[in-house]
Amino acid sequence: MGQPDIGDLQANQKFQKYLGTEPPRFASRAELECAKVLDYYGIPWLYEPRTFVLEEDEDGRVREAFAPDFYLPEQDLYVELTVMKQSLVTRKNRKLRKLRERYPDVKIKLFYKRDLERLAQHFRLDLAS
Amino acid sequence: MRVRELGAEIARDYAHREPILVGSLKASFVFLTDLSRSMPMLHALDFVELAGYGSAQMGGHEQIRVLKDLDADIAGRDVIVVEDVVDTGLTLNYLVRTFELRAPASVAAVTLLDRPYRRLVDDLPVRYVGFVVPDELFVGYGFDLDERWRQLPDLRLVRDASPHET
Repeated sequence: MGQPDIGDLQANQKFQKYLGTEPPRFASRAELECAKVLDYYGIPWLYEPRTFVLEEDEDGRVREAFAPDFYLPEQDLYVELTVMKQSLVTRKNRKLRKLRERYPDVKIKLFYKRDLERLAQHFRLDLAS
Repeated sequence: MRVRELGAEIARDYAHREPILVGSLKASFVFLTDLSRSMPMLHALDFVELAGYGSAQMGGHEQIRVLKDLDADIAGRDVIVVEDVVDTGLTLNYLVRTFELRAPASVAAVTLLDRPYRRLVDDLPVRYVGFVVPDELFVGYGFDLDERWRQLPDLRLVRDASPHET
């Protein structure tokens, strides 16, 4: 039996602390888990509420943009979830650095798989994998 | 020892008051015990336990649940939450918000270990920090891995299957 589809998983999910008007459509199971964690700890959140332009060409066309996964209004903080291997985290870190350079007033942090696992009390699974 | 320094610092800051130390179970219990014995002043002790996200005790709950609430009435009291570690700050944030609804005189927190670089919630009253630590897993001194190793007298860093002395 395969893994349940992310669409099936989130279809039945009700969030208490989600502040958006449209139901969130998560790209991955990890994002859904992260949303559930925020809900569990009573932290209001939005899903991908804003896309930041990181780079434009000479004609003003967008060459690179970045939509962080979550926004926590009470903390005024954007959160990008990453469950990827180190090389891809480096790419994300580069995006975050660009974002901070272009939008110095915007607060953003990476939320690692390890953070999620600590909160989910899944150390054993992580160490075994 | 750092815990003794923390105890002395808290005793200075709370001179002529009688704070209540609230241990957040389970991992903080050894730290709380040593901290209490390092504070040459009157103070009370109490404990609180929250069901962690995804834990067996959570039983399908989608919002945080208090497994053990305070025995004491904290209205008008100086509360010091004793944490084993603060990283994202989500748990401490919940505790502080919950306690503040009970009209204490003040709420502060002391943590043995801190990972401030992992914080999602910044506005926390973490006044006393034992050690800022790297993003590694520790056992011993009350910290566990699958409910094992709490009894080790010192903190050990988990590198693979077994804990190493730090």
